[in-house]
Amino acid sequence: MTRKRRRLLLIFSALGVLGVAAGLVLFALNDTIVFFRTPSELAAEHAVPGTRLRLGGLVKDDSVVKQDNAHVRFVVTDGGGEIAVNYAGLLPDLFREGQGVIAEGTLEPDGSFRADTVLAKHDEKYMPKEVADALKKQGVWKEGEATR
Amino acid sequence: MLLWIAFSLMTGAAILAVLWPLRTGAGAAPEAASAAEADLAVYRDQLAEIERDRTAGLIGEGEGEAARAEVARRILRASAEVHATRAASAGNVGRRRAAALIALVGVPVLAGTLYILLGSPQLSPQPLAARLNARPEEADVAVLIRKVEEHLEANPDDGRGYEVIAPIYLRIGRTSDAVRTWSNAIRLLGSSPSRQSGLGEAMVADADGVVTAEASAAFQQALAQDPKDPKARYFLGLAAEQDGKTAEAAAYWSALAADSPVGAPWLPLVHAALARVGAAAPAPQTAQVPGPGAADVAAAEDMTPEQRSQMIRGMVERLSARLAEDGDDLEGWLRLMRAWTVLGDADKAKAAATDARGHFGKDDAALARIDALARELGLGS
Amino acid sequence: MNPEIGHYALVLALAVAILQTTIPVWGARAGDAALMRVGTALAIVLFGFISLSFATLVSAYVQSDFSVLNVVENSHSMKPLLFKITGVWGNHEGSMLLWVLVLSLFGALVALFGSNLPATLKANVLGVQGSIATAFLLFILLTSNPFIRVVPAPAEGQDLNPVLQDIGLAIHPPLLYLGYVGFSITFAFAVAALIDGRIDAAWARWVRPWALAAWAFLTVGIAMGSYWAYYELGWGGWWFWDPVENASLMPWFAGTALIHSAVVMEKRDALKVWTILLAILAFSLSLLGTFLVRSGVLTSVHAFATDPSRGVFILGILIFFIGGSLAIYALRAPTLRQGGIFAPVSREGALVLNNLLLTAAAAAVFVGTLYPLALEAYNGAKITVGPPYFNLTVGALMAPVVFAMPFGPLLAWKRGDLLGAAQRLMAAFGAAILAALAAVYVQGGGPVLAPVGMGLAVFIVIGACVDLAERAGFGRVPAATALARFRGLPRATFGAALAHAGVGICLMGIIAETSWNAERIIGAKIGQSFEVGRYELTLDRLEPRQGPNYRALVGVFSVRRGGADMGTIESSKRLFTARSMSTTESGIRTYGLSQLYVSLGDELPGGAIGVRAYWKPLVTLIWLGALIMALGGVLSLSDRRLRVGAPRPAKKPKPAAVPAE
Repeated sequence: MTRKRRRLLLIFSALGVLGVAAGLVLFALNDTIVFFRTPSELAAEHAVPGTRLRLGGLVKDDSVVKQDNAHVRFVVTDGGGEIAVNYAGLLPDLFREGQGVIAEGTLEPDGSFRADTVLAKHDEKYMPKEVADALKKQGVWKEGEATR
Repeated sequence: MLLWIAFSLMTGAAILAVLWPLRTGAGAAPEAASAAEADLAVYRDQLAEIERDRTAGLIGEGEGEAARAEVARRILRASAEVHATRAASAGNVGRRRAAALIALVGVPVLAGTLYILLGSPQLSPQPLAARLNARPEEADVAVLIRKVEEHLEANPDDGRGYEVIAPIYLRIGRTSDAVRTWSNAIRLLGSSPSRQSGLGEAMVADADGVVTAEASAAFQQALAQDPKDPKARYFLGLAAEQDGKTAEAAAYWSALAADSPVGAPWLPLVHAALARVGAAAPAPQTAQVPGPGAADVAAAEDMTPEQRSQMIRGMVERLSARLAEDGDDLEGWLRLMRAWTVLGDADKAKAAATDARGHFGKDDAALARIDALARELGLGS
Repeated sequence: MNPEIGHYALVLALAVAILQTTIPVWGARAGDAALMRVGTALAIVLFGFISLSFATLVSAYVQSDFSVLNVVENSHSMKPLLFKITGVWGNHEGSMLLWVLVLSLFGALVALFGSNLPATLKANVLGVQGSIATAFLLFILLTSNPFIRVVPAPAEGQDLNPVLQDIGLAIHPPLLYLGYVGFSITFAFAVAALIDGRIDAAWARWVRPWALAAWAFLTVGIAMGSYWAYYELGWGGWWFWDPVENASLMPWFAGTALIHSAVVMEKRDALKVWTILLAILAFSLSLLGTFLVRSGVLTSVHAFATDPSRGVFILGILIFFIGGSLAIYALRAPTLRQGGIFAPVSREGALVLNNLLLTAAAAAVFVGTLYPLALEAYNGAKITVGPPYFNLTVGALMAPVVFAMPFGPLLAWKRGDLLGAAQRLMAAFGAAILAALAAVYVQGGGPVLAPVGMGLAVFIVIGACVDLAERAGFGRVPAATALARFRGLPRATFGAALAHAGVGICLMGIIAETSWNAERIIGAKIGQSFEVGRYELTLDRLEPRQGPNYRALVGVFSVRRGGADMGTIESSKRLFTARSMSTTESGIRTYGLSQLYVSLGDELPGGAIGVRAYWKPLVTLIWLGALIMALGGVLSLSDRRLRVGAPRPAKKPKPAAVPAE
């Protein structure tokens, strides 16, 4: 009898903890996920300024302007659209014009993008996976073209 | 051979790992504890541990007693099992034979088949140091290229080096490097028909077979200097074909075929091209005596510095052998001394000087010339 | 050494692994001692062949044998010797070979030191190990063969990814693999016990050392990986919630739960079903991590080459082992005999709570890591689950764990006295409140949670000390007796307390670093000074330097604090010519437990250079804490009781064994 009740108690407390955990996970997911967008997608859907986003595409050639206070401006393009990005900070080692990039931050009312993180992480193919997928969809980039 | 012996030994070791534990006589060892026995040992150990903790005062009297009771129950249960089950059998012979057979047949067959499918037993190890130090005639193309590249990095103004490596780059498919090196060769050595047409060919290869405007310009340059240059004419024909001007292309190629010697290596290519644009190939000029084929020229051009120096070395050896038989040729001795010095072999140069002195021991004028050259070459006295 | 020897050794290893999968298990089913013994020999030979294969590959790297494709793709003749060697596992093929090497090492260790195990259990364990080795050897040979040759051999290699040319790579992956793959042993034990149908307190005793060893390695491996990312990536961050980091964190949570629940199982014969499940989970999560990293479904610095056929193959392995083990589990678990009972408030109860929360944390990380994948597969939306999610979920789930941590060891088995435990922890409470107040005073109006966290951290550390003092009986018995008892405490007790204290120390570092760090990003010219935290940095000079296979631009900074000279910091950017890639070599200077961290950015117009400088208070405690945790694990492992395990029972009744039946 007591054995059975203890067992039940154990199981219910376990379920309770797991329930709390599940709720926590759902709540956190709802609140913290960040969508990935390309410039042309952003242009098409008129995103609300202030939303947190990950912007991915290629750094447009000859678009990088470095200011002496470590502020950088560059343009991200996916062939279909372009967005100017402002970033205060050091660019990652792998950041290059013409290469894939992901910028995380918010859209400004004037249509530019304020990034607080710039990622140029990529594998040997020199292209972040999300960016490669998006560019393939746009037809800008074909398999094997971006190597080296 | 050694490799296959090593493979056999390794296979043997794998089979032995199965056979050794299966050998008769090993089965009697009371190694295998039954599950219940092993459990019992753990529980006895736990009991002793509780005892230790209790005497050390680490656990309370009541707590210790409860724990003891619990472990004791486990012990009872386990000992009941020990009596109920028999220890593992020592193993029966049939099973052992089957296992041994599986190992004896399965290991070599499986490993052998897979290795033959995947491995490359014919290839030897090729550590870089050994390849770099290999004698020139044994060195492989990649290493020779690397050496030329290192040489060019140190002497970026050596036009001959670029000229030597450019066709090799083209042959191994490093087309953009070929373009770059031909351009350098032209910049440093000046324009020549073969360099210009080489550059053009590299550009065509680099553009995946398209004769670009730059390539055409290079071929025109070649033709300006040598209107007969076969490569330039062939590719200009190709350019015309790619522009859709088949008549012009056919004109280039017919002319080329018409004044090519019989058996020229490019003829089949030209004939194929002509057939492609639907023009008839002119009759070859049977009268003309085949000169040194362009292929031979190309082969000489392709020669690497190592091969060249090898060639020169061979000539010097021959000179040396001739002088050893007939030592009266003073000019020959002097040439030999100079040649060894140029080839960087000071010892042989000195030896040549000594031999020469031996031959001209009574001829002061000759001795004076030998000594003067030895001083000039820094061979000591 | 001829690479073909290594290749053949690998092929032969596959044959041996297949035998190891079949013969001992067959022996165990037939009750044939001779066949079961074969497993021991095979496990050792398997390790021998894979070591030979690995050594051959290393020698090919050291000698720059560019007739081996793997060497061409990942090495360079001008690379320093150390990085030639570490380059072996700095790529997909080589790292998989290291993976099976570690796997076979553990198999050989069980074969050599498992003489106290029942013969059938040992045979089944080795059989399961053999099956894992078979699967991964097949994977290597068919999709990721490091011994493929090239004809003709190039004269130079393409060099290793410069980010990986670092001493961190020398130690981090092997340690991590020792942890990951170490859980293959507990997995093999669990499956073997399920096959055998014998799951009891003794099983937990046999499994615990392996679980502890794997856990300790994994802890150090994760800490090393974190430190490597910290100084190599130049961002000053020490944890990024990168999918690969998550992949190592999930088995760590499961493994931590496992080493705790195994204690309950060993002492009380309870939580058996759960412990077995955890053993399966810990390794399944390790496999999942391998899949995530190797298949390229997630992008990360660690994802080397991506090749769909490899992903499918590993997915197959994953499904086979996880699905298979869970199927046996579902079949066998209900037949297990009930174990000891306990009240909710008891040592067992506390450990159950710990287990629940740890597995919930693992699940939260799991969801966060895989949710983007699932969503993309479902409707093509690309999302990122970033640090805020993980900080919130893992933070919220870990807070009760760390708070309850000092209570657990103070509760008695079966039925505990929560109030009594709380009373005994009064000293720790006091210390915690003092620490929190001190933190409030020092930070003078920073984040509210920081002093609370500091208090909690101190609570854990002091709580661990209280636990030891209580066991020795300080304050209850005469000091001399207490001291004698203290010395007599089992090492496992010290280990546990040390590991718990390590958690507290790590927590201090995390809280101090996240709450009180100072950051400064600036375009600095030579001679220019700037402040970060309470330090003043001056860019003295920029100088170019030549390395063996790179060129570097070095910035030399002098540090002053309150006018006093505090030394210099050198930070550099390296350009690797072979791949024309650059890396950041952060300049780090340690002051006490805190660090000043400087990394260089790009050269800016007007002769300035981008500089990122951080003041990171108590940051070293993060890794020190992790090392202390692992040290606690090692100390526990050295406990005589675990090593002795079972004295050989069969020796004593040797003459009697025959007539017994």
